[in-house]
Order: sequence, then C-alpha cells, then structure tokens
Amino acid sequence: VADTNKAETGKSADHGADEHVHGISRYIYVWLGLLACTAITVYTGHKDLGAVNLPLALTIATLKATAVVLIFMHMINTPTANRIVFVTSIVFAIVLIIGVFGDLWTRNEMTLPSAAPSTLGPEIQVQGEPAGGMPERAPIPEPHQP
Amino acid sequence: MSSSDAHHHHVAGPGEPTLAHHFDTQEQQNNAGRLGMWLFLGTEVLLFAGLFLGYTVYRHFYHEAFHEASRHLSTFLGTTNTIVLITSSLTVALALNAVQRNKNKLAAVYLVVTILFALAFLGIKSIEYTEKFREGALPGKWYHFAEITAPGANLYYTVYFLMTGLHAFHVIVGMCVLLWVLKGVGRGKYGPKNYVAVELGALYWHLVDLVWIFLFPLLYLI
Repeated sequence: VADTNKAETGKSADHGADEHVHGISRYIYVWLGLLACTAITVYTGHKDLGAVNLPLALTIATLKATAVVLIFMHMINTPTANRIVFVTSIVFAIVLIIGVFGDLWTRNEMTLPSAAPSTLGPEIQVQGEPAGGMPERAPIPEPHQP
Repeated sequence: MSSSDAHHHHVAGPGEPTLAHHFDTQEQQNNAGRLGMWLFLGTEVLLFAGLFLGYTVYRHFYHEAFHEASRHLSTFLGTTNTIVLITSSLTVALALNAVQRNKNKLAAVYLVVTILFALAFLGIKSIEYTEKFREGALPGKWYHFAEITAPGANLYYTVYFLMTGLHAFHVIVGMCVLLWVLKGVGRGKYGPKNYVAVELGALYWHLVDLVWIFLFPLLYLI
C-alpha cells in the first residue's frame, strides 16, 4: 500500500506536496456558490413542482456536496488512493438505496402498510379506502403495548 | 523525547513534524494519515447511508405523513443552520490555509470562529428540539402531536430525531477535534511543514457539513 501511495503521489512529491497552497479566493467562490444553491433549494423546495421536486433537491445537494469534497476537502489534488476509498463508499451507499428503493417501487400495493387493515381497533377502521390512500383519523391512537 | 529512538536523532521542533520510525519519508507518513482519514470518512458515509435508507423506505410508505410533518419544521431555522454550517466549512478551510501560510494567529481566529459556528448550530438545533418536545412531535410511541394525525407521522419524527441527533453528535465530536487542533495551533505546533493534523480535523468538519447538505432538503423541504 505504501509503495502504491508513493507512486501515486510521485509527481507532487517531486515538487514537494507542501506547496499545494492555494489563494483563498477559490474558497470564497465555493462558499458563495453554496449559499446560492441553498437559496435555490429553499425557494424551489416549497413550490409544488410535482415529480420534479425531489430530483431537483437531490441534484442541488449533490452539486453542493461535490463542491465541498473537491475544493474544501481538496479531493481535486489528493492522491488517487483517497479518491478510490471515498468514492467507493458513496457508490455502495447509492447501490444500497437504489436496490431497496427498486424493491419498494415494484411492490404490489397489498404489501404496503397503507393497504394493511388497521390493528388499532374497530372504531378507527376506515372502510372503502382506496389502496395507497391515507385514512383520516380523528383521535390519536393510544400506543399499543406488545 | 525521542532520544531513545534508535532510528531518529532528529527531535521535532515547533512547527516541525515527527516522523514515525515505520515511515520512510514525511510525505509517505502524511499520505498514510490522509488515506486513513478518507477511509474513516467512507465508513461515516455508509453509517449515514443506513439512515438515509430508512428514510427512503418510510417516506415511500408514508408519503403524505412525511410531507405534512416536514412542513411543520421551521424552514427559517433549518436554512439558518445550513448557512451556519456552510460558512463554518469555509472558515475551517481558511484556518488550514492560514496554517499552510504560517499565519498561526489568523488560523486560531478562524478556528475559534468555526467552533462558535458549531455552538450556534447546536443552539439553533436545541431550540428546534425544545419546540418538538413541547408539542409532542416525538418518535414512536411518545408521539402525541394533535395537529398531524396521519399514520406514519411518528415515524417521520423517529427518522428526524435519529438523523439530526446523530448529526448533532458529529457536530459535538467535530467541535472537540477542532478545539484540540486549536490547542496545537496555540502552542505553535503546526506550520507549513506540519499541517496534516489540521487538515484531517478540517476533513472531519467538512463531512459534518456534507451530511447536513443532504439532511436539510430531505427533512425540511419535502
């Protein structure tokens, strides 16, 4: 591992990696960009854009995160080994979420909790509720003990 | 201190790094430290991924309840905290930059400002938590908030408290790490040749910001 590490940083080691000091202007620009993205996501977040809301929010968040990782965390000039371990963990996190969401997305409505008969007692059972619809309940159900 | 060390006759002075005997060069030691930190940050990503997964599942099951419960959070306080964390990420990046330029006093100022931002974040978070506790917008069986009765609203607050709670714990840990870095800066321990500890502390702090960048829209703006 050490040899790989050395080989990967060979270029910067030649010039001395300690000289990787940038001016502060790039940090200020990133900060302004992050503030602008925050403003956009707050503005669009409470507008009803239908199916666009979630992908838009996630795109903006990913843009912000990328800027933080590349510039604030200096991944733009970090040894490749560091990029590999971090990006791999992100890839697996995405695989985990997409895999499980794929399962949920393709489920029969009957297997969703909203389609299950209420276990909270007959007085708040909702009749004729279409699958997927959220029944209205006036009283707050007492927590049932197992 | 290292006089008993047969491999090294060099004792690190102020602003100079100590080279552990199992590393050949300073650069190699620095990169090993960086790799270790990135590996740790990778496990942090996976830790939060599990919670984001739980969020995804319950949000899919209880879409309306999540929407209603989310609208009950204060967008103003959430946005303020987002700006606080983003700005603290900037100040910690500037602190590292100052250490690299051998401006220790400036670095100390930036670190103090970053720690104050961390405290501000926790203060705002505790205002939000207090409000939720008062209303009864609580996880699981403790939920007794009369305004939102849709099934699954308690699950929203379970996810909310778990995720923001774990995140707040990271803010506290990050604050302690930065205090430790600040102590080192105060003692003149770091400089242009010895800044990896500052760099790694800053990396941890940026991760705290990264997690919040996703938590904020997913919890406050749905």
